[in-house]
Amino acid sequence: MMPAESLAQIQRWMQAVIRQPGGDGAEQIAERILPSRALSSRERLQIYANAYAARLLEVLAGEFPALAAIVGEELFAEFAFGYLHRHPSTSYTLAELGAKFPQHLAETRPPRETDEPDWADFLVDLATLERLYSEVFDGPGTEDTTPFVLGDLSPDDWPQCRLQFAPCVRLIRLRYPVHETITAVRRGKQPDMPAATPTCLVVTRREYIVRRQPVTEGEFRLLSLLHGGATVGDALSQWFTESADDSPPIREWFQRWTAAGYFVGVTTESAGDLS
Amino acid sequence: MPASQLHLPALGFGVGLRTAHFSYLLQHPAEVDWFEIISENFLDSHGRPRHVLDRIAERYPIVMHGVSLSIGSTDPLNFDYLRKLKRLADDVAAAWVSDHLCWTGVAGLNTHDLLPLPLNEESLAHVTGRVRIVQDILERPLVLENPSSYVTFAASTMPEWEFLSRLTDATGCGLLLDVNNVFVSATNHDFDPVEFIERVPADRVVQFHLAGHTDCGTHRIDTHDGPVIDPVWELYRLARSRSPQAATLLEWDARIPPFAVLEAEIAKARAADSRRREPSDATESSGAIDTLGPQRSGSARRTYEAVPQPAVCVTAEVE
Repeated sequence: MMPAESLAQIQRWMQAVIRQPGGDGAEQIAERILPSRALSSRERLQIYANAYAARLLEVLAGEFPALAAIVGEELFAEFAFGYLHRHPSTSYTLAELGAKFPQHLAETRPPRETDEPDWADFLVDLATLERLYSEVFDGPGTEDTTPFVLGDLSPDDWPQCRLQFAPCVRLIRLRYPVHETITAVRRGKQPDMPAATPTCLVVTRREYIVRRQPVTEGEFRLLSLLHGGATVGDALSQWFTESADDSPPIREWFQRWTAAGYFVGVTTESAGDLS
Repeated sequence: MPASQLHLPALGFGVGLRTAHFSYLLQHPAEVDWFEIISENFLDSHGRPRHVLDRIAERYPIVMHGVSLSIGSTDPLNFDYLRKLKRLADDVAAAWVSDHLCWTGVAGLNTHDLLPLPLNEESLAHVTGRVRIVQDILERPLVLENPSSYVTFAASTMPEWEFLSRLTDATGCGLLLDVNNVFVSATNHDFDPVEFIERVPADRVVQFHLAGHTDCGTHRIDTHDGPVIDPVWELYRLARSRSPQAATLLEWDARIPPFAVLEAEIAKARAADSRRREPSDATESSGAIDTLGPQRSGSARRTYEAVPQPAVCVTAEVE
């Protein structure tokens, strides 16, 4: 008969056996768990081991439906179990479970054979955008704030002002147009892997629904400068220094960005916060 | 009229608020008296889930039901989590805050499962101390649920009903009596569910849970994926006769049907204590246990279909 064990010892043992069936501690199952009339000690504990795997796999498949659809059930499960082994949940919320999944896929991808984007890059891009959708969907937004109108600003103040972006606006550069893949999967289709195409997206949220807008490389670059905190004057100056395009539709861009709700205010050195 | 010694409101009959019904509930009145939320899905939400919750809370009482308090864990309590729990409870004027008599992880990990405790003096003293701390932080009584469980520890020395009774005596906490869990655990642990219902302190029962489950032949799994079966209705009638003011909540977390199906199930619950119900057409799901292998394979998902709750999370809505 085993000596009395503390609650802490039992919990550490049970968690280990559930997370890694067959690992250390499996030989003690019969000593610590009683059989029922129908199941052995091992079979009873198996229910928890199965549940641990199934539940977390279900959650990841729910957050990354396009990745799961593209790679198929078996490979997705392999990815997920590898991830959960390396990054077990430490949060009270399942919303954090997939936070490092894109990074994990990038870190464990097979070695590159060429410098060109490949299948693994496509999968990492898919996971990255699906995770971003989750973060934008349930993160801070602007639904309860008054829309900001750039037209309220004096033209003289423009060069010195810094635009305040809505907290839900995220800029992301991808190697594949995976937003189209994700949309297709969500519509019940089974899309093929698209050709590698540099893709710039603005992901935001309006009326509690995630929106994604493909933008040109030039538009993305200017938005990135502004998002990084540059004044409008400095951003435009740097943009024109870098760009070969000497007549970009700057006005149209700002009109579209404003209409899309990317900004919630501006700060100017003379007038302060105008949000 | 107070539901129990805890002087909590008698809420009537409610259902769990789930994302599948968000759009419907924003546009239609619900034939239920109140809603229960999974607390963790809203603690950090700044998006549609929280928006919908705020709208629902304007029209219906809300109860917060957690899955990560881990009251039985030997890890330290998570005070950041508890502060968020209290803030949300204050924000939505939660009628009460509940969780489970379980632990969810140790060594800083969360398995996101409701793991059972060895039912003995050490566990009772441990949980008693933590319930007192939690109640002090939340500034309200904690309500604890009997989880479905699948293993019996050799280290256990008392039945679950005795553990719960002594815990309520020592802490003043309330009980969420999950009638389906009593039935599931009774099968899995070979005990008499009627004795369990009759032994828990009826005046401490604040709320009932009802749900469907999966009959795997050799055991039952608490899957919340179907209607309540007749033997559970029978137990519910017994439990309600002992705690008539306790609120009733229907859980349905997988294979979620249209809201009208939940309303119909709630109508059965309303009628359950006023007349003897005709046998329902509810059938149990069936599942099968896998053999414990040293490694999980890629085909795991197909064979692990009967997933015990909780597995409730939020999926992003994208244009």
